[in-house]
Amino acid sequence: MIEIDGVTVTFDDVRAIKDVDLTVEDGEFLTVVGPSGCGKTTLLRTVGGLQEPTTGSVRVNGATTDAARTNAELGYVFQQHTLLPWKSAVENVTFLREMAGKSADREEARRLLREVGLEGFESARPAALSGGMKQRVAIARAIHLGAEILLMDEPFGELDEITRERLGVEIRRLWRAERKTVVFVTHSVPEAVFLADRCVVMESDPGRVIETFEVDLPRPRTDEVYSSDAFQEQVAAIRSVLHENRSEPSTAGPTLTEP
Amino acid sequence: MNERVRGSGSPVRAADVALPLAGLAGATGAWWALVAALNVPSYLLPPPDAVAAVIVGNPGMFARNAVATAEKVAIGGSVGVATGFLLAVSISRLPWLRRAVYPYLVTVRVLPKIAIAPLLLIYVGTGTTTAVVFIGLIAFFPMVLSTAAGFERVPTEQRDLLRSVDADPLDAFLRLELPYAVPDLFAGLKQSVTLAVIGAVVAEWLVSDSGLGFLILLGSENVQVDLMLAALAVLVALGLSLYGLVVLAQRRLGWTPAAG
Repeated sequence: MIEIDGVTVTFDDVRAIKDVDLTVEDGEFLTVVGPSGCGKTTLLRTVGGLQEPTTGSVRVNGATTDAARTNAELGYVFQQHTLLPWKSAVENVTFLREMAGKSADREEARRLLREVGLEGFESARPAALSGGMKQRVAIARAIHLGAEILLMDEPFGELDEITRERLGVEIRRLWRAERKTVVFVTHSVPEAVFLADRCVVMESDPGRVIETFEVDLPRPRTDEVYSSDAFQEQVAAIRSVLHENRSEPSTAGPTLTEP
Repeated sequence: MNERVRGSGSPVRAADVALPLAGLAGATGAWWALVAALNVPSYLLPPPDAVAAVIVGNPGMFARNAVATAEKVAIGGSVGVATGFLLAVSISRLPWLRRAVYPYLVTVRVLPKIAIAPLLLIYVGTGTTTAVVFIGLIAFFPMVLSTAAGFERVPTEQRDLLRSVDADPLDAFLRLELPYAVPDLFAGLKQSVTLAVIGAVVAEWLVSDSGLGFLILLGSENVQVDLMLAALAVLVALGLSLYGLVVLAQRRLGWTPAAG
Protein backbone atom coordinates (compact mmCIF):
# COMPACT_ATOMS: atom_id res chain seq x y z
CA MET A 1 0.00 0.00 0.00
CA ILE A 2 1.19 3.49 -0.81
CA GLU A 3 0.03 6.36 1.41
CA ILE A 4 0.66 9.88 0.12
CA ASP A 5 -0.24 12.35 2.83
CA GLY A 6 -0.32 16.10 2.19
CA VAL A 7 2.69 16.07 -0.11
CA THR A 8 3.97 19.38 -1.41
CA VAL A 9 7.17 19.67 -3.45
CA THR A 10 8.77 23.05 -4.06
CA PHE A 11 11.67 23.71 -6.41
CA ASP A 12 13.29 27.14 -5.94
CA ASP A 13 10.03 28.69 -4.67
CA VAL A 14 8.00 27.14 -7.49
CA ARG A 15 5.45 24.64 -6.27
CA ALA A 16 5.70 21.53 -8.43
CA ILE A 17 2.91 19.78 -6.54
CA LYS A 18 0.64 21.04 -3.79
CA ASP A 19 -1.13 19.13 -1.03
CA VAL A 20 -1.55 15.77 -2.72
CA ASP A 21 -3.34 13.10 -0.70
CA LEU A 22 -3.64 9.70 -2.29
CA THR A 23 -3.76 6.08 -1.23
CA VAL A 24 -2.91 3.24 -3.58
CA GLU A 25 -4.24 -0.15 -2.46
CA ASP A 26 -2.36 -3.39 -2.89
CA GLY A 27 -3.02 -4.94 -6.27
CA GLU A 28 -4.51 -1.77 -7.69
CA PHE A 29 -3.73 -0.39 -11.15
CA LEU A 30 -3.70 3.37 -10.69
CA THR A 31 -3.01 5.81 -13.50
CA VAL A 32 -2.09 9.48 -13.12
CA VAL A 33 -2.87 11.69 -16.08
CA GLY A 34 -2.32 15.37 -16.69
CA PRO A 35 -0.62 17.89 -18.96
CA SER A 36 3.13 18.59 -18.94
CA GLY A 37 4.13 20.45 -15.81
CA CYS A 38 1.29 19.16 -13.63
CA GLY A 39 3.82 17.43 -11.38
CA LYS A 40 2.78 13.85 -12.11
CA THR A 41 6.38 12.74 -12.59
CA THR A 42 7.40 14.62 -9.44
CA LEU A 43 4.62 12.85 -7.56
CA LEU A 44 5.85 9.47 -8.79
CA ARG A 45 9.41 10.39 -7.82
CA THR A 46 8.33 11.11 -4.25
CA VAL A 47 6.80 7.63 -4.12
CA GLY A 48 10.00 6.16 -5.55
CA GLY A 49 12.12 7.97 -2.97
CA LEU A 50 13.91 9.89 -5.73
CA GLN A 51 12.40 13.20 -4.62
CA GLU A 52 12.09 14.29 -1.01
CA PRO A 53 8.72 15.99 -0.31
CA THR A 54 9.08 19.57 0.93
CA THR A 55 6.19 18.92 3.29
CA GLY A 56 4.00 15.90 3.87
CA SER A 57 4.98 12.25 3.81
CA VAL A 58 4.93 9.15 1.63
CA ARG A 59 4.81 5.69 3.16
CA VAL A 60 5.21 2.45 1.27
CA ASN A 61 3.84 -0.64 3.03
CA GLY A 62 3.93 1.35 6.24
CA ALA A 63 7.62 2.26 6.00
CA THR A 64 9.61 5.14 4.57
CA THR A 65 10.43 5.33 0.86
CA ASP A 66 14.12 5.01 1.76
CA ALA A 67 13.37 1.68 3.40
CA ALA A 68 11.34 0.68 0.33
CA ARG A 69 14.29 1.49 -1.92
CA THR A 70 16.72 -0.43 0.25
CA ASN A 71 14.42 -3.46 0.27
CA ALA A 72 13.91 -3.23 -3.51
CA GLU A 73 10.15 -2.88 -3.12
CA LEU A 74 9.82 -0.43 -6.01
CA GLY A 75 10.25 -1.46 -9.62
CA TYR A 76 10.80 1.66 -11.70
CA VAL A 77 10.17 1.87 -15.45
CA PHE A 78 11.17 5.17 -17.05
CA GLN A 79 10.24 6.84 -20.32
CA GLN A 80 13.80 6.18 -21.46
CA HIS A 81 14.39 2.45 -21.55
CA THR A 82 17.56 2.80 -19.39
CA LEU A 83 18.99 -0.48 -20.68
CA LEU A 84 22.75 -0.85 -20.60
CA PRO A 85 23.90 -0.81 -24.23
CA TRP A 86 26.72 -3.32 -23.66
CA LYS A 87 24.49 -5.96 -22.06
CA SER A 88 22.16 -8.50 -23.65
CA ALA A 89 18.44 -8.53 -22.90
CA VAL A 90 18.83 -11.27 -20.27
CA GLU A 91 21.76 -9.50 -18.64
CA ASN A 92 19.77 -6.28 -18.56
CA VAL A 93 16.87 -8.06 -16.87
CA THR A 94 19.12 -9.54 -14.17
CA PHE A 95 21.22 -6.37 -13.76
CA LEU A 96 18.78 -4.38 -11.62
CA ARG A 97 18.13 -7.27 -9.26
CA GLU A 98 21.88 -7.76 -8.85
CA MET A 99 22.36 -4.07 -8.16
CA ALA A 100 19.65 -4.34 -5.50
CA GLY A 101 21.90 -6.87 -3.77
CA LYS A 102 19.75 -9.88 -4.61
CA SER A 103 20.83 -12.98 -6.47
CA ALA A 104 19.63 -12.94 -10.05
CA ASP A 105 18.07 -15.94 -11.71
CA ARG A 106 18.81 -16.17 -15.43
CA GLU A 107 16.16 -18.84 -15.98
CA GLU A 108 13.54 -16.62 -14.37
CA ALA A 109 14.82 -13.72 -16.49
CA ARG A 110 14.36 -15.83 -19.62
CA ARG A 111 10.86 -16.79 -18.52
CA LEU A 112 9.97 -13.13 -18.06
CA LEU A 113 11.39 -12.24 -21.48
CA ARG A 114 9.15 -14.93 -22.99
CA GLU A 115 6.29 -13.53 -20.93
CA VAL A 116 6.76 -10.07 -22.46
CA GLY A 117 6.96 -11.56 -25.95
CA LEU A 118 10.72 -11.48 -26.48
CA GLU A 119 11.45 -15.16 -26.93
CA GLY A 120 14.44 -15.48 -29.23
CA PHE A 121 15.82 -12.06 -28.30
CA GLU A 122 17.46 -13.10 -25.02
CA SER A 123 20.98 -12.45 -26.28
CA ALA A 124 20.16 -9.33 -28.31
CA ARG A 125 21.73 -6.06 -27.27
CA PRO A 126 19.48 -2.97 -26.97
CA ALA A 127 20.78 -1.53 -30.27
CA ALA A 128 19.22 -4.50 -32.05
CA LEU A 129 15.80 -3.99 -30.42
CA SER A 130 12.99 -1.62 -31.38
CA GLY A 131 11.73 1.03 -28.95
CA GLY A 132 8.79 -1.13 -27.91
CA MET A 133 11.02 -4.17 -27.39
CA LYS A 134 13.39 -2.16 -25.22
CA GLN A 135 10.50 -1.13 -22.99
CA ARG A 136 9.42 -4.76 -22.78
CA VAL A 137 12.89 -5.61 -21.50
CA ALA A 138 12.65 -2.74 -19.00
CA ILE A 139 9.28 -4.08 -17.79
CA ALA A 140 10.67 -7.61 -17.45
CA ARG A 141 13.57 -6.11 -15.49
CA ALA A 142 11.24 -4.31 -13.08
CA ILE A 143 9.24 -7.52 -12.52
CA HIS A 144 12.41 -9.59 -12.03
CA LEU A 145 13.47 -7.19 -9.30
CA GLY A 146 10.73 -8.83 -7.26
CA ALA A 147 9.09 -5.57 -6.22
CA GLU A 148 5.37 -5.71 -5.57
CA ILE A 149 4.98 -2.12 -6.68
CA LEU A 150 5.73 -0.99 -10.22
CA LEU A 151 6.24 2.73 -10.77
CA MET A 152 5.91 3.57 -14.44
CA ASP A 153 6.80 7.05 -15.65
CA GLU A 154 5.36 7.44 -19.16
CA PRO A 155 6.96 4.16 -20.19
CA PHE A 156 5.28 4.20 -23.60
CA GLY A 157 5.75 7.94 -24.15
CA GLU A 158 8.18 7.59 -27.02
CA LEU A 159 6.39 4.77 -28.82
CA ASP A 160 3.99 4.96 -31.72
CA GLU A 161 0.27 4.73 -30.96
CA ILE A 162 -0.23 1.19 -32.24
CA THR A 163 2.65 -0.14 -30.16
CA ARG A 164 1.33 1.78 -27.15
CA GLU A 165 -2.09 0.16 -27.42
CA ARG A 166 -0.61 -3.31 -27.75
CA LEU A 167 1.68 -2.78 -24.78
CA GLY A 168 -1.31 -1.44 -22.84
CA VAL A 169 -3.14 -4.74 -23.25
CA GLU A 170 0.00 -6.62 -22.25
CA ILE A 171 0.87 -4.59 -19.21
CA ARG A 172 -2.66 -5.21 -17.85
CA ARG A 173 -2.21 -8.93 -18.47
CA LEU A 174 1.21 -8.93 -16.77
CA TRP A 175 -0.13 -6.94 -13.83
CA ARG A 176 -2.79 -9.62 -13.26
CA ALA A 177 -0.46 -12.56 -13.87
CA GLU A 178 2.34 -11.24 -11.64
CA ARG A 179 -0.02 -9.71 -9.03
CA LYS A 180 1.59 -6.28 -8.87
CA THR A 181 0.49 -2.88 -7.71
CA VAL A 182 1.01 -0.34 -10.48
CA VAL A 183 1.22 3.44 -10.47
CA PHE A 184 1.33 4.51 -14.11
CA VAL A 185 1.96 8.13 -15.12
CA THR A 186 0.98 9.31 -18.59
CA HIS A 187 -0.11 12.40 -20.49
CA SER A 188 -2.35 10.35 -22.75
CA VAL A 189 -5.97 10.35 -21.55
CA PRO A 190 -6.99 7.24 -23.57
CA GLU A 191 -4.00 5.34 -22.21
CA ALA A 192 -4.80 6.43 -18.65
CA VAL A 193 -8.42 5.27 -19.04
CA PHE A 194 -7.63 1.97 -20.72
CA LEU A 195 -5.13 0.88 -18.08
CA ALA A 196 -6.81 2.15 -14.93
CA ASP A 197 -8.83 0.68 -12.16
CA ARG A 198 -8.70 4.21 -10.88
CA CYS A 199 -7.49 7.29 -12.72
CA VAL A 200 -6.15 10.38 -10.96
CA VAL A 201 -6.37 13.59 -13.00
CA MET A 202 -3.84 16.35 -12.29
CA GLU A 203 -3.58 19.95 -13.42
CA SER A 204 -0.69 22.42 -13.29
CA ASP A 205 0.06 25.80 -11.60
CA PRO A 206 0.36 24.49 -9.00
CA GLY A 207 0.46 20.78 -9.72
CA ARG A 208 -2.51 19.24 -7.92
CA VAL A 209 -5.08 16.47 -8.09
CA ILE A 210 -8.34 17.79 -9.51
CA GLU A 211 -10.44 14.63 -9.82
CA THR A 212 -10.30 10.89 -9.34
CA PHE A 213 -12.30 8.50 -11.52
CA GLU A 214 -13.16 4.89 -10.84
CA VAL A 215 -12.83 3.32 -14.26
CA ASP A 216 -15.52 0.71 -14.76
CA LEU A 217 -14.63 -0.99 -18.01
CA PRO A 218 -14.68 -4.73 -18.80
CA ARG A 219 -11.93 -6.80 -17.22
CA PRO A 220 -9.70 -8.19 -18.58
CA ARG A 221 -9.10 -5.24 -20.87
CA THR A 222 -8.86 -6.43 -24.45
CA ASP A 223 -8.41 -4.62 -27.76
CA GLU A 224 -12.20 -4.28 -28.07
CA VAL A 225 -12.29 -1.94 -25.08
CA TYR A 226 -10.52 0.74 -27.12
CA SER A 227 -13.47 1.00 -29.50
CA SER A 228 -16.28 0.64 -26.92
CA ASP A 229 -18.68 3.49 -26.14
CA ALA A 230 -18.04 3.20 -22.40
CA PHE A 231 -14.34 3.78 -23.05
CA GLN A 232 -15.00 6.81 -25.25
CA GLU A 233 -17.37 8.29 -22.66
CA GLN A 234 -14.82 7.90 -19.88
CA VAL A 235 -12.15 9.57 -22.02
CA ALA A 236 -14.54 12.42 -22.81
CA ALA A 237 -15.40 12.87 -19.13
CA ILE A 238 -11.74 13.24 -18.17
CA ARG A 239 -11.05 15.56 -21.08
CA SER A 240 -13.89 17.84 -20.00
CA VAL A 241 -12.57 17.94 -16.41
CA LEU A 242 -9.15 18.91 -17.75
CA HIS A 243 -10.74 21.52 -20.00
CA GLU A 244 -12.82 23.11 -17.23
CA ASN A 245 -9.86 23.38 -14.95
CA ARG A 246 -7.66 24.91 -17.56
CA SER A 247 -10.11 27.66 -18.54
CA GLU A 248 -10.71 28.68 -14.93
CA PRO A 249 -7.67 27.87 -12.84
CA SER A 250 -9.11 29.72 -9.82
CA THR A 251 -11.91 27.21 -9.26
CA ALA A 252 -10.15 24.11 -8.07
CA GLY A 253 -12.70 21.75 -9.62
CA PRO A 254 -14.47 18.92 -7.83
CA THR A 255 -12.91 17.85 -4.56
CA LEU A 256 -10.67 14.86 -4.46
CA THR A 257 -12.56 11.63 -3.99
CA GLU A 258 -10.69 9.38 -1.61
CA PRO A 259 -11.66 5.74 -1.30
CA MET B 1 33.32 7.73 -33.37
CA ASN B 2 33.11 4.29 -34.88
CA GLU B 3 29.46 3.27 -35.14
CA ARG B 4 30.16 -0.41 -35.60
CA VAL B 5 28.91 -2.79 -32.94
CA ARG B 6 31.63 -5.08 -31.65
CA GLY B 7 31.67 -8.41 -33.44
CA SER B 8 29.24 -7.42 -36.15
CA GLY B 9 31.81 -6.12 -38.64
CA SER B 10 32.29 -7.66 -42.04
CA PRO B 11 35.28 -10.00 -42.45
CA VAL B 12 38.50 -8.41 -43.72
CA ARG B 13 38.57 -8.62 -47.49
CA ALA B 14 41.72 -9.28 -49.49
CA ALA B 15 41.57 -5.83 -51.07
CA ASP B 16 41.59 -4.21 -47.61
CA VAL B 17 45.07 -5.66 -47.08
CA ALA B 18 46.35 -5.71 -50.64
CA LEU B 19 45.67 -2.08 -51.55
CA PRO B 20 47.50 -0.46 -48.61
CA LEU B 21 50.40 -2.86 -49.18
CA ALA B 22 50.45 -1.90 -52.86
CA GLY B 23 50.51 1.77 -51.81
CA LEU B 24 53.49 1.17 -49.53
CA ALA B 25 55.32 -0.81 -52.23
CA GLY B 26 54.58 1.92 -54.79
CA ALA B 27 55.90 4.70 -52.53
CA THR B 28 59.05 2.74 -51.67
CA GLY B 29 59.59 1.96 -55.36
CA ALA B 30 59.13 5.62 -56.28
CA TRP B 31 61.62 6.65 -53.61
CA TRP B 32 64.12 4.11 -54.93
CA ALA B 33 63.55 5.11 -58.56
CA LEU B 34 63.84 8.83 -57.77
CA VAL B 35 67.15 8.38 -55.98
CA ALA B 36 68.51 6.25 -58.87
CA ALA B 37 67.19 8.44 -61.67
CA LEU B 38 68.32 11.78 -60.24
CA ASN B 39 71.54 10.32 -58.89
CA VAL B 40 70.86 11.76 -55.42
CA PRO B 41 73.99 11.41 -53.28
CA SER B 42 73.30 8.92 -50.47
CA TYR B 43 74.39 11.38 -47.73
CA LEU B 44 71.35 13.46 -48.70
CA LEU B 45 68.82 10.67 -49.34
CA PRO B 46 69.91 7.05 -49.27
CA PRO B 47 67.78 4.50 -51.16
CA PRO B 48 65.33 2.41 -49.08
CA ASP B 49 67.47 -0.71 -49.22
CA ALA B 50 70.41 1.20 -47.71
CA VAL B 51 68.18 2.32 -44.82
CA ALA B 52 67.01 -1.25 -44.29
CA ALA B 53 70.64 -2.38 -44.35
CA VAL B 54 71.46 0.03 -41.50
CA ILE B 55 68.82 -1.59 -39.29
CA VAL B 56 69.73 -5.14 -40.29
CA GLY B 57 73.42 -4.37 -39.88
CA ASN B 58 73.11 -3.22 -36.27
CA PRO B 59 69.95 -4.73 -34.79
CA GLY B 60 71.28 -4.60 -31.21
CA MET B 61 71.72 -0.84 -31.26
CA PHE B 62 68.21 -0.21 -32.59
CA ALA B 63 66.67 -2.71 -30.18
CA ARG B 64 68.48 -1.12 -27.21
CA ASN B 65 67.38 2.36 -28.15
CA ALA B 66 63.84 1.26 -28.97
CA VAL B 67 63.63 -0.30 -25.51
CA ALA B 68 65.01 2.89 -23.94
CA THR B 69 62.30 4.94 -25.66
CA ALA B 70 59.59 2.39 -24.91
CA GLU B 71 60.55 2.43 -21.22
CA LYS B 72 60.17 6.18 -21.01
CA VAL B 73 56.85 6.00 -22.84
CA ALA B 74 55.65 3.20 -20.57
CA ILE B 75 56.62 4.86 -17.30
CA GLY B 76 55.74 8.44 -18.22
CA GLY B 77 52.63 7.38 -20.12
CA SER B 78 51.38 5.25 -17.22
CA VAL B 79 51.90 8.09 -14.76
CA GLY B 80 50.08 10.55 -17.02
CA VAL B 81 47.24 8.19 -17.88
CA ALA B 82 46.73 7.04 -14.29
CA THR B 83 46.75 10.62 -12.98
CA GLY B 84 44.37 11.69 -15.74
CA PHE B 85 42.01 8.82 -14.97
CA LEU B 86 41.99 9.53 -11.24
CA LEU B 87 41.36 13.23 -11.76
CA ALA B 88 38.54 12.43 -14.20
CA VAL B 89 36.94 10.15 -11.61
CA SER B 90 37.34 12.82 -8.94
CA ILE B 91 35.77 15.62 -10.97
CA SER B 92 32.91 13.35 -11.99
CA ARG B 93 32.14 12.71 -8.31
CA LEU B 94 32.81 16.17 -6.89
CA PRO B 95 30.91 18.97 -8.62
CA TRP B 96 32.86 21.68 -6.75
CA LEU B 97 36.17 20.22 -7.93
CA ARG B 98 34.85 20.05 -11.46
CA ARG B 99 33.90 23.71 -11.40
CA ALA B 100 37.24 24.71 -9.92
CA VAL B 101 39.44 22.68 -12.25
CA TYR B 102 37.68 21.78 -15.48
CA PRO B 103 37.80 25.21 -17.23
CA TYR B 104 41.58 25.25 -16.81
CA LEU B 105 42.01 21.72 -18.09
CA VAL B 106 40.19 22.78 -21.24
CA THR B 107 42.20 26.02 -21.45
CA VAL B 108 45.57 24.30 -21.06
CA ARG B 109 44.64 22.21 -24.10
CA VAL B 110 45.60 25.09 -26.38
CA LEU B 111 49.04 25.38 -24.80
CA PRO B 112 51.72 23.48 -26.76
CA LYS B 113 53.07 21.20 -24.05
CA ILE B 114 56.50 21.31 -25.71
CA ALA B 115 56.77 24.90 -24.56
CA ILE B 116 56.86 23.66 -20.95
CA ALA B 117 59.90 21.43 -21.52
CA PRO B 118 62.54 24.16 -20.94
CA LEU B 119 60.91 24.95 -17.58
CA LEU B 120 61.14 21.29 -16.60
CA LEU B 121 64.87 21.42 -17.36
CA ILE B 122 65.19 24.01 -14.61
CA TYR B 123 62.83 22.40 -12.09
CA VAL B 124 63.47 18.69 -12.57
CA GLY B 125 66.99 18.70 -14.00
CA THR B 126 68.49 17.10 -17.05
CA GLY B 127 68.00 13.41 -16.24
CA THR B 128 65.55 10.72 -17.24
CA THR B 129 63.09 11.99 -14.61
CA THR B 130 62.53 15.08 -16.74
CA ALA B 131 61.70 12.89 -19.72
CA VAL B 132 59.24 10.86 -17.64
CA VAL B 133 57.60 13.97 -16.18
CA PHE B 134 57.29 15.55 -19.62
CA ILE B 135 55.79 12.42 -21.17
CA GLY B 136 53.44 12.10 -18.22
CA LEU B 137 52.31 15.67 -18.64
CA ILE B 138 51.68 15.32 -22.35
CA ALA B 139 49.76 12.03 -21.89
CA PHE B 140 47.71 13.39 -18.98
CA PHE B 141 45.52 15.92 -20.79
CA PRO B 142 43.75 13.83 -23.42
CA MET B 143 43.14 11.14 -20.82
CA VAL B 144 41.55 13.39 -18.21
CA LEU B 145 39.38 15.28 -20.71
CA SER B 146 38.14 12.23 -22.60
CA THR B 147 37.44 10.19 -19.50
CA ALA B 148 35.63 13.07 -17.79
CA ALA B 149 33.48 13.44 -20.92
CA GLY B 150 32.81 9.69 -20.79
CA PHE B 151 31.42 9.86 -17.27
CA GLU B 152 29.07 12.60 -18.45
CA ARG B 153 27.39 10.15 -20.79
CA VAL B 154 25.65 8.21 -18.04
CA PRO B 155 21.95 9.10 -18.53
CA THR B 156 20.28 10.73 -15.51
CA GLU B 157 17.44 8.21 -15.59
CA GLN B 158 20.00 5.42 -15.48
CA ARG B 159 21.40 6.86 -12.25
CA ASP B 160 17.84 7.25 -10.93
CA LEU B 161 17.16 3.61 -11.71
CA LEU B 162 20.06 2.53 -9.50
CA ARG B 163 19.02 4.98 -6.81
CA SER B 164 15.54 3.43 -6.87
CA VAL B 165 17.03 0.17 -5.58
CA ASP B 166 19.56 1.89 -3.31
CA ALA B 167 22.49 0.35 -5.22
CA ASP B 168 25.91 0.32 -3.58
CA PRO B 169 27.90 3.35 -4.85
CA LEU B 170 31.01 1.31 -5.66
CA ASP B 171 28.90 -1.22 -7.59
CA ALA B 172 27.21 1.62 -9.43
CA PHE B 173 30.59 3.07 -10.34
CA LEU B 174 32.10 -0.20 -11.52
CA ARG B 175 29.06 -1.59 -13.32
CA LEU B 176 27.34 1.54 -14.64
CA GLU B 177 29.53 4.63 -14.75
CA LEU B 178 32.87 3.10 -15.68
CA PRO B 179 31.49 0.99 -18.55
CA TYR B 180 29.67 4.05 -19.90
CA ALA B 181 32.99 5.93 -19.89
CA VAL B 182 34.97 3.11 -21.50
CA PRO B 183 34.61 4.15 -25.18
CA ASP B 184 35.77 7.69 -24.36
CA LEU B 185 38.41 6.36 -22.03
CA PHE B 186 39.95 4.37 -24.87
CA ALA B 187 39.66 7.33 -27.25
CA GLY B 188 41.69 9.31 -24.70
CA LEU B 189 44.15 6.47 -24.25
CA LYS B 190 44.83 6.32 -27.98
CA GLN B 191 45.63 10.03 -28.05
CA SER B 192 47.75 9.72 -24.91
CA VAL B 193 49.83 6.88 -26.33
CA THR B 194 50.47 8.75 -29.57
CA LEU B 195 51.42 11.92 -27.72
CA ALA B 196 53.59 9.99 -25.27
CA VAL B 197 55.77 8.78 -28.15
CA ILE B 198 56.06 12.34 -29.45
CA GLY B 199 56.89 13.46 -25.93
CA ALA B 200 59.57 10.80 -25.62
CA VAL B 201 61.32 11.95 -28.80
CA VAL B 202 61.24 15.58 -27.72
CA ALA B 203 62.51 14.64 -24.25
CA GLU B 204 65.32 12.62 -25.78
CA TRP B 205 66.41 15.61 -27.84
CA LEU B 206 66.60 17.67 -24.67
CA VAL B 207 67.85 15.46 -21.86
CA SER B 208 68.73 11.96 -22.95
CA ASP B 209 71.74 9.98 -24.10
CA SER B 210 69.77 7.04 -25.42
CA GLY B 211 66.58 6.24 -27.29
CA LEU B 212 65.35 6.56 -30.86
CA GLY B 213 64.98 10.33 -30.54
CA PHE B 214 68.59 10.49 -29.42
CA LEU B 215 69.66 8.39 -32.46
CA ILE B 216 67.86 10.82 -34.76
CA LEU B 217 69.60 13.76 -33.11
CA LEU B 218 72.93 11.95 -33.37
CA GLY B 219 72.32 11.22 -37.05
CA SER B 220 71.50 14.87 -37.62
CA GLU B 221 74.68 16.11 -35.95
CA ASN B 222 76.82 13.72 -38.00
CA VAL B 223 74.77 14.18 -41.20
CA GLN B 224 73.96 10.45 -41.27
CA VAL B 225 70.62 10.54 -43.04
CA ASP B 226 70.51 6.73 -43.29
CA LEU B 227 70.75 6.44 -39.50
CA MET B 228 68.04 9.07 -39.04
CA LEU B 229 65.66 7.36 -41.45
CA ALA B 230 66.35 3.97 -39.89
CA ALA B 231 65.59 5.34 -36.41
CA LEU B 232 62.42 6.96 -37.77
CA ALA B 233 61.28 3.64 -39.23
CA VAL B 234 61.82 1.89 -35.89
CA LEU B 235 59.98 4.75 -34.16
CA VAL B 236 56.98 4.27 -36.45
CA ALA B 237 57.01 0.55 -35.64
CA LEU B 238 57.16 1.33 -31.91
CA GLY B 239 54.33 3.86 -32.10
CA LEU B 240 52.13 1.50 -34.11
CA SER B 241 52.80 -1.36 -31.69
CA LEU B 242 51.79 0.72 -28.68
CA TYR B 243 48.68 1.96 -30.48
CA GLY B 244 47.92 -1.63 -31.47
CA LEU B 245 48.13 -2.70 -27.83
CA VAL B 246 45.47 -0.14 -26.93
CA VAL B 247 43.25 -1.31 -29.80
CA LEU B 248 43.63 -4.92 -28.64
CA ALA B 249 42.77 -3.96 -25.07
CA GLN B 250 39.70 -2.12 -26.32
CA ARG B 251 38.55 -5.16 -28.29
CA ARG B 252 38.78 -7.26 -25.14
CA LEU B 253 37.35 -4.81 -22.62
CA GLY B 254 35.42 -2.22 -24.56
CA TRP B 255 32.14 -1.83 -26.29
CA THR B 256 31.30 0.55 -29.10
CA PRO B 257 28.24 2.76 -28.96
CA ALA B 258 25.91 1.88 -31.79
CA ALA B 259 23.33 4.07 -33.44
CA GLY B 260 19.91 3.77 -31.82
